[in-house]
Amino acid sequence: MPLSATIYNTIFKRNSIYVATVFSAAFAFGISFDAGVQSFWDKWNQGKQWKDIRDKYVQDAEE
Amino acid sequence: MASIQAAKKSLSLAPTVRTLPSGVPAAPLLNLAARAPADHHAHGHGAAGPRADVPPQWAGGVSRSFGLSSKTLLTAPTTTAFQHRLIHTSAVAKDAPQVPDFGPYRAKDTNSNRALSYFMVGTMGVLSASVAKSSVSEFLQTMAASADVLALAKVEVDLTSIPEGKNVIIKWRGKPVFIRHRTQSEIEEARSADWKTFRDPQSDEQRTKKPEWLVMLGVCTHLGCVPIGEAGDYGGWFCPCHGSHYDISGRARKGPAPLNLEVPAHEFNDADGKLVIG
Repeated sequence: MPLSATIYNTIFKRNSIYVATVFSAAFAFGISFDAGVQSFWDKWNQGKQWKDIRDKYVQDAEE
Repeated sequence: MASIQAAKKSLSLAPTVRTLPSGVPAAPLLNLAARAPADHHAHGHGAAGPRADVPPQWAGGVSRSFGLSSKTLLTAPTTTAFQHRLIHTSAVAKDAPQVPDFGPYRAKDTNSNRALSYFMVGTMGVLSASVAKSSVSEFLQTMAASADVLALAKVEVDLTSIPEGKNVIIKWRGKPVFIRHRTQSEIEEARSADWKTFRDPQSDEQRTKKPEWLVMLGVCTHLGCVPIGEAGDYGGWFCPCHGSHYDISGRARKGPAPLNLEVPAHEFNDADGKLVIG
């Protein structure tokens, strides 16, 4: 049996499983999308954010 | 003869004299059986009298019963003047149209097409579900307190300035907050007490995040007085208003207070040695 038929039979054939798959995929997609955008943002603004430059200033204050 | 003919001379009257309220033209005194006027030049063709081509009564006709109405009871024959057009420029219609062979374009295996179609539909569902979820949650976040409001509602206390065995009272959201740096013996006393028999049973572990730091709202749970520290029968707090005694963990032990002193949400910042209340 080809892969496409296997996928059809396991996920798409029964609507309850299809809808459940869609919602769980939406949940996973939301989390992964947020994480991806966050990591991209951090990479793009590397060295500019407070958590990157905190070491300099906090050490100065303690010394 | 001429004078008689002059008396018989017919008049050309307007057929419609007036209109009935229903809109039907009214023609009173209209003689529907009038004879054709005498024609001296007819040379005898056509008899004078009722017209020969008047349809018979059963085939309908004109009546004056309700205004002037005409009725035809016969089905008129259709106009049949058909003939084959032998010369025309339109394309010749073939009897059996030739259907092209779509075989090369047909899918060899319909499984992948079907799976792809369902996959696209499901992907659409996934995207719209996450869009709906994020719009709802973003809308709900607009009702939450913003970061500056939350920052104002917090109080930071430097814990390094509080020596062991001392109380500190600070103001937080208009209420006093007790912070006690407990000694080791006080911790043991608070932990060894049989808290299950208390009025408001709560263990010391539930009330403190770090055993040496006790953070509580300094408002007596009875009627809202501010208890006095390091007083009372249990070495903790004593409310002077109605004599409630709290132990070294802030639990109500004696007197009218129904509940233990409330513990606000607080966090320890170990890096800076600070306590954040709120």
